[in-house]
Amino acid sequence: MSKIKVGINLLKVINCGMLCNVKLLHFLNFILCSRSLLSLRLLLLLKPQGSDSIRPKRENTILICAPLDRKRRRIHSTRFQGVYTLRARERIPSNKTETTFNLDFLIWFYRENFSTMPALCYLLEGMGSSCSRSHSVNEANTEENLKAVEIDRRILQETKAEQHIHRLLLLGAGESGKSTIFKQIKLLFHTGFSEAELRSYTSVVHANVYQTIKILYDGSKELTQIESDSSKYVVSPDNKEKGERLSELGSRLDHPFVTKEITQDIMNLWQDAAIQETFSHGNMLQIPDCAQYFMDNLDRLSQPDYVPTKEDVLYARVRTSGVVEIQFSPVGESKKSGEVYKLYDVGGQRNERRKWIHLFEGVTAVIFCAAISEYDQTLFEDETKNRMMETKELFDWVLKQKCFEKTSFMLFLNKFDIFEKKVQKIPLSVCDWFKDYHPTTSGKQEVEHAYEFVKKKFEELYFQSSKPDRVDRVFKIYRTTALDQKLVKKTFKLVDETLRRRNLMEAGLL
Amino acid sequence: MSVAELKEKHAAATATVNSLRERLKQRRQLLLDTDVATYTKNQGRSPVNFSATDLVCCRTLQGHTGKVYALDWTPEKNWIVSASQDGRLIVWNALTSQKTHAIKLQCPWVMTCAFAPNGQSVACGGLDSACSVYTLSSQSDRDGNIPVSRILTGHKGYISCCQYVPDQETRLITSSGDQTCVLWDVTTGQRISIFGGEFPSGHTADVLSLSISSTNPNMFVSGSCDSTVRLWDLRIASRAVRTYHGHDGDVNAVRFFPDGLRFGSGSDDGTCRLFDMRTGHQLQVYARPDRNDDEIPTVTSVAFSISGRLMFAGYSNGDCYVWDTLIAEVVQNLGTLQNSHEGRISCLGLSGDGSALCTGSYDKNLKIWAFGGQRKVI
Repeated sequence: MSKIKVGINLLKVINCGMLCNVKLLHFLNFILCSRSLLSLRLLLLLKPQGSDSIRPKRENTILICAPLDRKRRRIHSTRFQGVYTLRARERIPSNKTETTFNLDFLIWFYRENFSTMPALCYLLEGMGSSCSRSHSVNEANTEENLKAVEIDRRILQETKAEQHIHRLLLLGAGESGKSTIFKQIKLLFHTGFSEAELRSYTSVVHANVYQTIKILYDGSKELTQIESDSSKYVVSPDNKEKGERLSELGSRLDHPFVTKEITQDIMNLWQDAAIQETFSHGNMLQIPDCAQYFMDNLDRLSQPDYVPTKEDVLYARVRTSGVVEIQFSPVGESKKSGEVYKLYDVGGQRNERRKWIHLFEGVTAVIFCAAISEYDQTLFEDETKNRMMETKELFDWVLKQKCFEKTSFMLFLNKFDIFEKKVQKIPLSVCDWFKDYHPTTSGKQEVEHAYEFVKKKFEELYFQSSKPDRVDRVFKIYRTTALDQKLVKKTFKLVDETLRRRNLMEAGLL
Repeated sequence: MSVAELKEKHAAATATVNSLRERLKQRRQLLLDTDVATYTKNQGRSPVNFSATDLVCCRTLQGHTGKVYALDWTPEKNWIVSASQDGRLIVWNALTSQKTHAIKLQCPWVMTCAFAPNGQSVACGGLDSACSVYTLSSQSDRDGNIPVSRILTGHKGYISCCQYVPDQETRLITSSGDQTCVLWDVTTGQRISIFGGEFPSGHTADVLSLSISSTNPNMFVSGSCDSTVRLWDLRIASRAVRTYHGHDGDVNAVRFFPDGLRFGSGSDDGTCRLFDMRTGHQLQVYARPDRNDDEIPTVTSVAFSISGRLMFAGYSNGDCYVWDTLIAEVVQNLGTLQNSHEGRISCLGLSGDGSALCTGSYDKNLKIWAFGGQRKVI
């Protein structure tokens, strides 16, 4: 330590006024406990009263090492013998004589790894001039300095406050149920939907009804052209006119509210054999999953004073825009054990994921939603691509991202209820990824068998896509039906448990 | 006409367009007889003399608790605003390296920030698909945060870049992931013009960056994931004035040359390119000298020195090359100097008078580099 070599990081000129040792100590304490500066050392130069400028002479140099012991302030000095213990009222000595100080001082921060001499000369130059400058423009600088210190303190405080919040990111292909999970969490653990929010969904529900019937009608026309056995898709003549009108209404941006006459038309069209046939063979069309539910409840939806129920809201489909977030705390057995979670749904971004996914580096866990019922459906954006393959590619891509190296993955195999019904009619092997599947039995056991097969496929994919050093991150698969509130609650409790266990492990307590 | 026939027609039309593009490309090759570097060398010029002490890191701005994503200087006052992953905007005084303002944003996913020409307000945008404007002189609330003065909504995708029109505090341009750029009137919050979108000559993928010409503020260029850069005139929103092809990957950064007649662009293919604005030719390719094909570091940001002789390019592996624009050689790598960044360089910018360069990085710091010693500012 014979030469003080300085690598410049910060240069501050602080004027604390006359004999305010307490302030100095508080200030030093704050600086030294601040996380980013823990590895730094302080060089404290004191100006004895009466002198006009400071030169870094050896006599007035005191070196302080971090971190300071809270109770007893220790100042180690290279120039002085021994150690000085400083208590609140003690004055800072210099030259071993006790003198009152005008605390004009410079605090220099420097790192352990030193830089070269030219930099030191530069600093000394700057330092010399700023010292004398500071002497004359004290007041102006003081305010700025205090403000800067205040900002640092606030940043530290805010960062500390946020440390215990676990952040979860919902990812998944389009229509995999992310937003439904989001809404469920809102209903379960948050305050749920307010009256105003429920009301705001009325237009969404009506829009969904129009969209559904339009897709069905247009779909039936398309199928008559494509399918060989086209006669079963031809709508009966009296319903045709209604179909055309509804289709036109559905393509407009502002739909009229669903009135009694329109309801009657929709019901007639829905019950037409051709439309029913189209619906059952709807895997090539983009029929939303809520179709059956809304059609069944059409009477209730068309009432003039209709306010959507919570279940209606869960089924309603609207493309989310931007990012939505929700902060909640699943209450455990004892109120105190509740962790705080923040859930983010980025579903609405219809663009290059790779350009913004790095923003989420450092989230606690990624909840990846995969709708296992869509193994026979094609994408909305690209009708030649199978949805399950898209999900597979997306999952693979997400696993390989550098920003998720240490993130836990919770895979939700969603839409199990639809999967149950579908797997008995349409074999899994229609999807390329599952082409080596052979049904063994039938009925309930078959469903379980199929589910286990899909689960195993995802597990294989996980291990294939994770580099050897990453395989240790937490990876769990859950079976979900996003619309079933009890199931979501149970699933989430399991997720919470997993994450808490991970926390304890990381803290070295398990 | 049935769906199948329509699809066939579409495929045929696409093929025609592609073949026409090929022909254009070949024609352009014929017209272009040399590039900037070859010409300069033929004239007998040599690379600028740049040693390790010519550009020194004189300040490190610490305080962000997350990766720094974007930064911007004020034109006169030497203040810098930086945006980071922790959801904060911090305004620094570059000379004293102190923080003057710290703004905690409502939506923490911020990707860009910009200073108004008068230095009184800052704008930022990100995943929330809206651009928020904060006036620095407004009263902070009891938590110490400055309230937002205006939110500009209307985009359907994330905001990747925003910039104020020079000398006009009320107009700013944003580029977004929904493939459009929009000119806003800040006082009313309305969109004045939309560049791209439904119009056929707009970008066909996310727009990642934009740069407004300082000599002619009516022109700006935007770079996008579709590997092209497009030139727009503020007064004509219906079509792009010109499209510049040449890059092989997403164009991450574009910056006008100081004279406003050329611009540089940096891309995921690891190269920077210099284009002539008026003829559309690609004047020069700046490709990294080390050629290992495992993982090519991508260019994240580009800036020119005040005369244009030097081009600063930040890369994803932490390098910051100083290119001699005329000779197309690397004269310095700031990433290897003392005190350089430890992570990828995400943004860089030159101060208004050109005497200092600020770089921001994923290691949560910003560094200010100044021309030191005997070196005059070029």
